[in-house]
Amino acid sequence: MAQYIVSSSPHISTSVTTKRMMLDVIIALIPATLASVLIYGFYPLFIMVLSVGTAVLSEWLFNLATKRTQSIGDLSAIVTGMILALNLPAVVPFYVPIVGSAFAIVIVKMLFGGIGKNFANPAITARIFLMLCWTGVMTTFVKPIDLSEGSNMFAYFVNIVKIDLPDAITSATPLAFVKDSISANTNPAQSLNALDMFLGRIGGSAGEVSALAVIIGGIYLLVRRVIDWRIPALYLASTVVFTAIFFADSGYVGEYIWTYLLGGGLMFGAFFMATDYATSPKSCLAVVIYGVGLGFLTVIFRKFGTMNEGVSFSVLLMNALTPLLDKIVPKVFGAPKKNIAKLISAKHKRKKSVALKGGFDD
Amino acid sequence: MEYNYQENYTSGDDSMTISLRTFRRGIHPPANKFTKDAPLEDFPVPETLYVSLSQHIGAPARPIVAPGDRVEEGQLIGEADGFVSSNVFSPVSGIVKGVIKLPTAIGTEADHIEIENDFKYSKRTLPVLHDPTKDEILQRIKDAGIVGMGGAGFPAHIKYAPKDKVDTLIINGAECEPYITCDYRLLVEHAQTVVDGIRLIMKTLDVDKAYIGIESNKSFAIKTLAEIVPEGISVMRLKTKYPQGAEKQLIYAITHRTVPTGGLPSQIGCVVSNVHTAYAVARAVYSGEPLYKRAMTVSGGGVRKRGNYWVRTGTSYQFIYDICRQDAEEEWTRKVISGGPMMGFAQANLLPACAKGTSCLLFLTKKEFNTDESTQCINCGKCILNCPMSLVPRDIERAVIKNDFETTYKIGVVNCIECGACSYSCPAKRPLVQAMRLAKKEIKARGIK
Repeated sequence: MAQYIVSSSPHISTSVTTKRMMLDVIIALIPATLASVLIYGFYPLFIMVLSVGTAVLSEWLFNLATKRTQSIGDLSAIVTGMILALNLPAVVPFYVPIVGSAFAIVIVKMLFGGIGKNFANPAITARIFLMLCWTGVMTTFVKPIDLSEGSNMFAYFVNIVKIDLPDAITSATPLAFVKDSISANTNPAQSLNALDMFLGRIGGSAGEVSALAVIIGGIYLLVRRVIDWRIPALYLASTVVFTAIFFADSGYVGEYIWTYLLGGGLMFGAFFMATDYATSPKSCLAVVIYGVGLGFLTVIFRKFGTMNEGVSFSVLLMNALTPLLDKIVPKVFGAPKKNIAKLISAKHKRKKSVALKGGFDD
Repeated sequence: MEYNYQENYTSGDDSMTISLRTFRRGIHPPANKFTKDAPLEDFPVPETLYVSLSQHIGAPARPIVAPGDRVEEGQLIGEADGFVSSNVFSPVSGIVKGVIKLPTAIGTEADHIEIENDFKYSKRTLPVLHDPTKDEILQRIKDAGIVGMGGAGFPAHIKYAPKDKVDTLIINGAECEPYITCDYRLLVEHAQTVVDGIRLIMKTLDVDKAYIGIESNKSFAIKTLAEIVPEGISVMRLKTKYPQGAEKQLIYAITHRTVPTGGLPSQIGCVVSNVHTAYAVARAVYSGEPLYKRAMTVSGGGVRKRGNYWVRTGTSYQFIYDICRQDAEEEWTRKVISGGPMMGFAQANLLPACAKGTSCLLFLTKKEFNTDESTQCINCGKCILNCPMSLVPRDIERAVIKNDFETTYKIGVVNCIECGACSYSCPAKRPLVQAMRLAKKEIKARGIK
C-alpha cells in the first residue's frame, strides 16, 4: 500500500511565502532605484550594489560563524541593502554603505535573532548610525545631473573615496529651505517647485527625492497586500493634521503641508520603513497610535529639531514603542465588552487593598 | 436585549437584492469546486461493508446483531447507548460477519460491524409520518439515528431539544471549505426535501423563523431555494469567505448575535444545522428512511472519477479509491483527506469507512497540498488580521514553544475554532493552528483555569 503523508490540518496554504513578500518589496523599490539613476547618474546604483552586496555577505558570514542555517535565501538582506542605499545621499564615499549595511545586518538584525526579530528597522537605524559617524558626508547633497550642461551619467564617480564637491553642485534639500523659513518666518515654498519635488529634481537622499517613484512602489505593495494600508495612510494624514496645527499661526499652512509631504523621507518612510513587519504593531488601536505618533513626532522633529531627520528619528522611536503597543490585542470574538471605567476602578480598588494590607497577596 | 431581526428578509426575493452578509476577518482560499456541476449519483456498493458504531459524538452504539444474523437494509444494528449516542443502521441487506476493530477517519479505533452484502437490497423502513407532532418528529430523529452531518456528528435529537428558549433556526449551506460540493448538489437537486426538513426542524424547535445561509458563489442554489421557500424561511446570500460556515461566524453573519465565550448558540436563541441534516430529517419522517446513506464529494488530482455520490455508510475508503481512481497512477495520490483541506483529517491508510459525517474524500497530488517547510516568523501579522475569532495566533504559538500553557489560556486559546485561517495565511508556514490545538489539549489535560 502506498505511503500517504499524514499531517494536521490545514492541508493547503497560501502561495505567499516570506521570499515572495520580500521579492515584492524589491520590485516595489525598483521605481525609486530607477529614479535615483535618472536623477543622479549611475553613482547611486554603484552605492546600492555595495550596500546590497555587503548586506548579503554579512548575513551569510554571520550565519556561518554562528553555525545557523543559512537565511539569505529569504531575500530580506537584499531588501535591507536596497532600502539603506536609497536612504543615503546620492554621493557618499564607498565605505559608507559598506559600514552601514554591515551594521544594519549584524548589529540590528542578526544579533537580535534575524528576520522578524530586529528591534528597529535595520536600514533606518544604520542611517542614523552613519549620520552620527559621518555627519558631514551624510548631510552633503548634490544637485541632479543636468546632461545639457556637459555632465555625464558618471559625473559623481570622482567622489568614490572622498567627497570633494565644488559649491556649484551641492544643493540644500527642500527641508533645509523650509527650516530656514521657520526661523525667518517667510514663505517656505518661495524657492521650491511642487512639480520638481514630486518628480525628484531636487537635492536629497538618492531614493527619497522622487515622491512619484516612491508612490508607485507603495501602490504596488498595497495592491499585493504586502503592507498594511493603515500605517502609511495614518502616517501621512497625521503629518498633514499636525503640520496644520503646529503651523496654524505662520500664515503659510498650505505651503508647509505640501513641502512637508513631498520633502525629505516622509513618503519613503511611510511606505517602506514604518511598515516593516517586525517593528510595527498589528492590532487596530495600536496601529492608530503608531501612525498618529509617527506623524506627530515627525512634525515636532522637523519644526523644533536642529537636524532634518524627522522621519528617521520618529520611526526609530515608534519602533521602540512597538513591543508595548503589541500588548494591545483585539477583543476576542464573543468575549464580553471591556468596560474601561470598571477596569480602572477595579485596578484602583486592588491597589488600595494591597496598600491597606501592606503585602503582596496578589 | 434587542435583536436585529431583519424583517426585510422574510421573502426569498428580497434577499437577492440586499448586500452580502458576513463576519469579520477570514481568508479566501481557492474554491477548487471542480465537482460543482456533477449531479449526485448512486455510488457502487462493495461486497463487504464496515459500519462504525462510533459515527457520532458520544458513547458508541451497542451492537444488537450477532455474527451469522441476516440483516436488511435499514435495519437497526447498533442501538444508542445512553443519552448522547445514536442509532446505527445496516446500509445493505446481507449477513453479519462479526464485530472488528478498525481505524476511523479521525485517527482513533472503533468497533465496526462487518456485513457481507447479498446485493438483494431488501429494505426495512420506519412507518411514514404524514402530519407528525413536535414530539413525534423528535422521537423519529432519535430513532433514525440522525446526527449533525456537517462533520462533527452531534446527535440531532439533543440539539433540537435545547434547554434555552430558541427563536431562530439557521441552516448552514455555506460550504466554505474548498473542493466540497455535496451540500450544493443537495440544495440544487433536492431543494424541496431540504425545505421540508427545515419545516420539520422548525416545528420541533417551536420557532417561526429560519434562515438558509448560502455563500454567494453558489448563486444557482440561492435562486433555486428562493423560488420555493415558504413564509418564515429566508435564503441569505453570504459573502464567499472562509470560515463562513463556522457556527459562530454564521450566526453572526445572519443575525448579528455573538455566541458568548464558552457558550452555546442556543443561549442566544439560535440553533444551527447543516442542510444535509435537514434533508435526512425529511427523509426519516416522510419516507421512514433511517440514516445510512449520504451525499459525499470525491475529488482531488489523484482520482479520475471525481463527483458527488450517494455513498452508504460502511463503504471503505479503499473501495472508493479503487472505483474512482480509474487510470490515475497510484503514486499520484500523496495525501488522502477525509473532509475538506482546511479542517479535514489526513489518512495514513485507506482502511476507514464512510460514516454519517463524511462529507468529502480528497485524494491530493503533491501539487495540491502545502509541502513548504516552516521558517522563522517574520511578524507580518497576517494570522492576527485573518483570525475570525480575533485571537493572536503569533503570541499563542510563541507561548506554546516555551511550554507556557498558562499564558496561552490567558490570551484566550480556548476560543480557537481551529479553522486554520492562521496557518493558511502564514507566509513563513508556521504551524499556528496546530500549536493552538496542542495548547487546548494541554490546558484540558493539566486542568488550567
